[in-house]
Amino acid sequence: MQYSGNMATDPKKRGRAIAPFFVFVLPALIVVGVILAYPVIYALVISLTDRELLYLGKTNFIGLRNYSEMIRDRNFWHSFRLQLGFIAIAIPIELVIGLFVAILFNREFPFSKTLRSLLMLPVFVLPVLSGLTWRLMLQPSYGVLASFFSAISLGPTAWLADTKYAYVAILLQDIWRMWPFMFMIIYAGLSSMPSEYVEAARIDGANFFQRFWYVLLPYLKSVIATAFLLRLIDALRIFSEVYVMTYGGPSNATMLLSLYIHKQAFEFGRLSYAASVAVFLLMVALSISYFVVKRGLRGEIE
Amino acid sequence: MRRRVISFIVLSVALLIVLIELFPIMVVIVNGFKRDIDIWSKNPFYFKPTLRSYQLIFTHREFPRSLRNSLVVASLSALVSVSLGSMAAYGLSRFNFKFNDALIFILLMVRMIPQISLAVPFYMIFRSVGLNDTVLGLSLAHISFNLPYVVALLLPFFSSIPREYEEAAKVDGCKTFQIFLKIFFPLASAGIVVAAVFAFLMSWNEFIYALVLTGTRAKTAPIVVNAFLGQYAPLWGQLSAAGTIMLLPVFAVTLSLQRYIIRGLSAGGIKG
Repeated sequence: MQYSGNMATDPKKRGRAIAPFFVFVLPALIVVGVILAYPVIYALVISLTDRELLYLGKTNFIGLRNYSEMIRDRNFWHSFRLQLGFIAIAIPIELVIGLFVAILFNREFPFSKTLRSLLMLPVFVLPVLSGLTWRLMLQPSYGVLASFFSAISLGPTAWLADTKYAYVAILLQDIWRMWPFMFMIIYAGLSSMPSEYVEAARIDGANFFQRFWYVLLPYLKSVIATAFLLRLIDALRIFSEVYVMTYGGPSNATMLLSLYIHKQAFEFGRLSYAASVAVFLLMVALSISYFVVKRGLRGEIE
Repeated sequence: MRRRVISFIVLSVALLIVLIELFPIMVVIVNGFKRDIDIWSKNPFYFKPTLRSYQLIFTHREFPRSLRNSLVVASLSALVSVSLGSMAAYGLSRFNFKFNDALIFILLMVRMIPQISLAVPFYMIFRSVGLNDTVLGLSLAHISFNLPYVVALLLPFFSSIPREYEEAAKVDGCKTFQIFLKIFFPLASAGIVVAAVFAFLMSWNEFIYALVLTGTRAKTAPIVVNAFLGQYAPLWGQLSAAGTIMLLPVFAVTLSLQRYIIRGLSAGGIKG
């Protein structure tokens, strides 16, 4: 593996290498231990108790009762379904747009570099501001998108007050913000592809779709998989955009998992129950993360 | 000839895509130069530029202070993350230690922890040690995602520096720490600058921890920007003006560090 050095393969040298290793790595490990590992363990422990936000009495250990409540909680499953739907709809659309725009940009034309970097702006826009901007654009009567939609009579006047269209709105917001992320990663993969591949296919008489299907896609497979996994983890923890656009409403129509956790903890004061849902989300994120890292390290070796 | 036509068509399509994509950002910038009242009462294309909203936010009760808090938290968390992170990345890439691979694996994995999962324990821990609503507490929370991110970003940078450099330095009698400071730091400076800038930006954009862990004193700018929504009548003009100011570092980074963006993104995605 490329990361680990082999300066100290000789056992005599190894003894010497351990001291500097600790000098360099230990400070970071201590900090990570205190502000990352400890809170994770804390969340685990809290999820096994009946701790409430405003309850000042004794905290009792109640075992897995929070988790069994979670399994029976219809609102939790509702949020879970919304979250899965969000991932299943937004990410493929982002992927397709990103892929085709990357193919479009993968040639020489004037200003291509400038336009490419401008496309990246939405990815870095503050999520809060992005959500607020979409909310402004969707305001009935004075929002620019709302005026447009009502001119072509698409949807209700107040999108964010409608249970179906509010969900569409948060999807649109995410697709707008994140397809350039897919674009950028796929574009990078595409521009590292030797041009002979496509040329050879062209000479063999392959048309655009054949070149796309038999040359480009197989070459991009692993890049796309990585981009997909990164987006997947990102989409799991989406919070601020939705918080400022709809606050989970109307009537829980956009209550994604992270908003549900926030609401349980800080609106209903049910800290321990929120912690158990948080632990669930954490486990899901870490399992996907496991694959991402594994792929990444393998790529490093190859 | 045919080539020129194709390139013209591609340019027009690309231009159209960019225009549509940047439209919401234009909405923010343009509305920052409108008055709140004009936004509510006129059609969306009414535009008579005025600096009224900017005047209001700079004399606002909370915005200037929150902007300062944002700057302090982002700088502090970036600084600590980069100092500790670059040392750790150096140690992990240069010294072979039994748990090396496991440590790298864990550090790379924990980048992806959703902030909301830690918001509850952070809130409780901070409340019991008096770190709630403090700039220091919020910075610590931000370091928890920035530090693993910096390590992940810098590991490949450090691994790609040839070993001959430090062998040479060792022959010259440099101590390990001197090697790190005098050889590695300058050689990896590009990576370190990128790491610092991205860490700053992630902290600058962060909302969940700011929402849960701060009250009145340590509030950061994204919270105040959101608060312009108010109870009854959203102050869209001031919200947009404040939002535009928050976007300035975003523009600067995206347009100047273009070369490194892909590396920055694939090292840890972006935080919401």
